[in-house]
Amino acid sequence: MECQHVSYQYPRQTRGLSDLTGVFPPGQVTTIIGPNGAGKSTLLQLLARRLPAQAGQVVLNEQPLDQLTTKQLAQQVAMVTQHHQLYDELTVREVVATGRLPYHGLLQAVPANEVTPYLEMAGLTSLADELIQDLSGGQQQRAWLAAALAQEPAVLLLDEPTTYLDVHYQQQLMTQLRQLAARGLTVIQVLHDINQAFRVSDWLWLLQDGQLVASGTPDDLRDAALLGRTFATPIEIVTVPHLGPYIVQLPD
Amino acid sequence: MTKHAGWWYGGVIALLVLTSLIALMAGTTWLGLPQVTWAVSHPASRAFVTIFSLRLPRILSSLICGGSLAVAGALFQAVFRNPIADPSILGISSAADFFKLGGAILLPWLPGRNWLMALVGGLIALTILTSGRALTDPYRLIIVGVALDATFVGLQQLLSSGAAAVSHSTFNGLTWSDTATLLGLGVLGLVVALILAPWANYLKLTDSALKNVGVPVNVLRWTLLLLGMYLAVSVTAVVGTIPFVGIVIPNVARRLVGHDYQTVLPFSMLAGAWLMLAADTLGRTVIVPSEISAATMMAVIGGPFVIILLQRGRGFHGMSTR
Repeated sequence: MECQHVSYQYPRQTRGLSDLTGVFPPGQVTTIIGPNGAGKSTLLQLLARRLPAQAGQVVLNEQPLDQLTTKQLAQQVAMVTQHHQLYDELTVREVVATGRLPYHGLLQAVPANEVTPYLEMAGLTSLADELIQDLSGGQQQRAWLAAALAQEPAVLLLDEPTTYLDVHYQQQLMTQLRQLAARGLTVIQVLHDINQAFRVSDWLWLLQDGQLVASGTPDDLRDAALLGRTFATPIEIVTVPHLGPYIVQLPD
Repeated sequence: MTKHAGWWYGGVIALLVLTSLIALMAGTTWLGLPQVTWAVSHPASRAFVTIFSLRLPRILSSLICGGSLAVAGALFQAVFRNPIADPSILGISSAADFFKLGGAILLPWLPGRNWLMALVGGLIALTILTSGRALTDPYRLIIVGVALDATFVGLQQLLSSGAAAVSHSTFNGLTWSDTATLLGLGVLGLVVALILAPWANYLKLTDSALKNVGVPVNVLRWTLLLLGMYLAVSVTAVVGTIPFVGIVIPNVARRLVGHDYQTVLPFSMLAGAWLMLAADTLGRTVIVPSEISAATMMAVIGGPFVIILLQRGRGFHGMSTR
């Protein structure tokens, strides 16, 4: 997936994205980082085609995203958002089954055998008939991720997937994302925790004020001056035993 | 589906059969089972006329109307994601009633006039209801709907002060031809509703989640809204506005058989049919030879139910979970 001169301006706001060009390497975990208001979530919305690019285009496998039908898009790109709202009760099985909708007609039922593998993968088989509302935050997150994976997408987009997770589940999720990428899935996520981003990613996008400041491997971007400029705060990179380089924010 | 759903289904079907039998027997003159069976083989008798020309069309009409109204309410609740959304409370039915009356005055020659005019009224009310921000705001929806309802009731009174025929929303005096119309329109709508039940389930997800999986949200939303509107105005066209069936029944159904619309819709259909028949039968037997209209019966039962639902239950924000 790549962006070619992509711009988007919110109506009546100065916020937006201007002329972004860059790639999200296939089969790798890319994390978009940057200060608040840099346009991270907006970019994710554009990659999911929830917002239209006003200039330029998002390209997936050499095909512009806006040439795909809604259904084709759903077979290629899946998204896991921060908060999952439901208006009424649904079981875990029903939630995961929604991920199979891109492959069926609107009046066809989703066969159970298409859902079970994803329930198993997420370790939710025993909870399949529970209401998703009754599950813990971590289990709910797993169910929504399972629904996204059931779309069999080429690209998985995640908006701050660790927000509602404790440290243990965060670790588990990041390991799972790395495994999925190793099997060929392109993972693109927004993370707030900059150290986590550097630790788990193959590739990073650094955004500031709607512009792409830099992109590259964590080693390329581990530059105190660059990060300090972007986040407008003095930053130093220290080496922690058993952990390696660690980015710390210095007091003014 | 809850564990006891099977029992509840059995219960409501038993009630339907029992109440239908009682409704056949009860009335100004009580006809016992032997008299009913005797009348069936004596087409010239007075009892036969009472049963087949008066009671049976009325029973069938109230059954189909109750089923239609309950399913229409359930569909509106699914689309508006609001547990008290219903064509009668949102002004759809009163708009249909007003246009029906207008049609009787202005276009008396039009074939199928009542139904066509009711449909036009329903469409106009639905357009007003969905044109602003009401779709995204549950409070606004109900307030706009109530205002719309009051407006059309007012307009109707304005128009009817000169006209003789005002709708009293009763099953009294329905002919076989009315019953056939109701059955034809109702059965068609109910069959489509049962086929489309999974769509009501999809609408439990947010619009963005549905777009994410390639589901055309607006097609689902409008199909189900138009279907609910069609079911409600078909009742209005023949009988008039009957409030609250569409709120009471689906909410009870969810509590009894679970939240899956593939179970909620058929159960609502059966339970709505029963409630309407029970209300009408009670209404025409408690103060014989006079009677209480079905609409009045439902207002008396349904009003308090909605108040309890909102004061104690989950309310407008109701169905959203986080």
